Amino acid sequence: MERLLIFVETKGDRPRKVSMELLSEGQKLRTQGYAVEALVMGKASEALRQEVLPCVDRLVSLTDAVLQSYTAEGYALALANHVRSINPKVILAGATQIGRDFLPRVAVMLGAGIASDATEIRWKEDPVKIIRPVHGGRALSQVSFVNYPSIITTRPNSFPLEAQAGTPGEYVEKEAAMSFEDVKAKVVKVEEVTKGKVDVTEADVIVTGGRGMKGPENFAMLEELAALLGGVVGATRSVVDAKWRDQQDQVGKSGKTVSPKLYIAVGLSGAIHHIMGMDTSKVIVAINKDEKANIFNYADYGIVGDLFQVVPAMTQDIKKRLGK
Amino acid sequence: MNIVVLAKQVPDPEAFVEIRGDGTGLEIEPKFATNLFDEFALEEALRIREKHGGKVKVITLGGGKATEVLRTGIAMGADEALLLDDPAFFDGDGYATALALSRAIKKDPFDVVLCGKQATDDDRGEIGPMVAQFLNVPHVGGITKLEIADGKATAESPIEGNKAVVEVSLPAVFTTAKGLNEARVPLITGVMKAMKVQIPKATPSELGLSQEELGKTGSKVRIERYLPPKKRAGVRLITGDAAEAAAEAVRILVDEVRVI
Repeated sequence: MERLLIFVETKGDRPRKVSMELLSEGQKLRTQGYAVEALVMGKASEALRQEVLPCVDRLVSLTDAVLQSYTAEGYALALANHVRSINPKVILAGATQIGRDFLPRVAVMLGAGIASDATEIRWKEDPVKIIRPVHGGRALSQVSFVNYPSIITTRPNSFPLEAQAGTPGEYVEKEAAMSFEDVKAKVVKVEEVTKGKVDVTEADVIVTGGRGMKGPENFAMLEELAALLGGVVGATRSVVDAKWRDQQDQVGKSGKTVSPKLYIAVGLSGAIHHIMGMDTSKVIVAINKDEKANIFNYADYGIVGDLFQVVPAMTQDIKKRLGK
Repeated sequence: MNIVVLAKQVPDPEAFVEIRGDGTGLEIEPKFATNLFDEFALEEALRIREKHGGKVKVITLGGGKATEVLRTGIAMGADEALLLDDPAFFDGDGYATALALSRAIKKDPFDVVLCGKQATDDDRGEIGPMVAQFLNVPHVGGITKLEIADGKATAESPIEGNKAVVEVSLPAVFTTAKGLNEARVPLITGVMKAMKVQIPKATPSELGLSQEELGKTGSKVRIERYLPPKKRAGVRLITGDAAEAAAEAVRILVDEVRVI
């Protein structure tokens, strides 16, 4: 039986959303004859086990102290050793900052091919084919592997989240027999900058403000709209450069690439650098007073008007609709 | 302190990208720029040298315009450059490219290797971590702060909403993200120097590599074809005054496309 290994990245004591997307994919493949395994660094919480086990045949947790904090070397060595012991055909992980940081090292350790930031996987092909955006999404490249195992990292929000109840797999805790000597990097501290906040890469709804917001104080109205929709606020490069918003919220080439269900672009012109970071959003709504703004070339719906009137009006309407 | 920067000349982000009729390749308007993230690497290398002494070497892999990034590096103040322009090096995946670059780095002693966290053309973001693994040294990815003292480096990198502070012994690789620094504009004297400088090259055999290990043949991943991205139908403009347009937009989002 072909085996798949899914690396489960955690946030607090829960799997990250992108990991659940992969586990949903795994659950589907489990019914198509794949044996699906998952790996988590550190002891798996009860909540994590409940979410993960219905999707897999086995979940292994590596409990070594050196794996308590993320280091690329530590995670890479642990994962590569685990791969050698279970021999999966494909290794899947989210294309998060962590996933994209340590999986390339695993690829070198295993002499395996890696396709980073995939938005589609064609499992029926052999070798498996991957679709990934290049040149900031202006073209897609179809890639395949020359050997197995192969490694794929997937862009958050690209695969449906549809895990269902299922026969729970086995849960195993073990040590990778790794020590602090195996890792040359030492984590001094990890500061929680945005406690509990959903990262823009994993948000279902993003309301992004540009220079047209006129000042940092006006982002409160975007915060209100985003909160109402269960989303987060994004920012353009110029807004981040002006220190109105945090770098972590920047959407675009020099910031983050996002694919939410709904992207509302407010008072931003749509510089190509920005488009590159949000073009794979499912539905894009643009609000700008300049009808010639480039963002309208990339939007599904556009409102040419004064954002300071349109945004509060939308917020009021949504409140009414949602009965809030 | 021996500082190495891996840098890449990439199509200008505004350059026109078109897929060849048969999907086998891309036609890209010939406008080029230094990869955005590599500019931070170049700048940081120069700042480290200014503080600790030593030399900065810039390495790139590629033909044609690739060498321009080396001249940019020298114009900014780098001491040396090295070009891998044998066609055997070309068209590799991350693995084959990182193998060649790691061998090029190893030709001379090195303490710090810097490169952008990803290139804005292939968008793979694999080279830094892979080079670190080939060199068997630690790396810290996507750094926004770097301090070096007593043979050690302390780097900050934002990871999924947290900020990690990581200490590594040198040699080590760092991939650079926005927020690390502001790249300097080269002085005219630097530009003059860069125009005249002879750029040394290294061949596969000088790096102890065979053709089979490099480029397309050495790759673990093959690009089979290019496909166009999904096209949007074109914008539907919602008219009316602010209140009317807002109401209509909300109606569409709730009732038609059902994303709210």
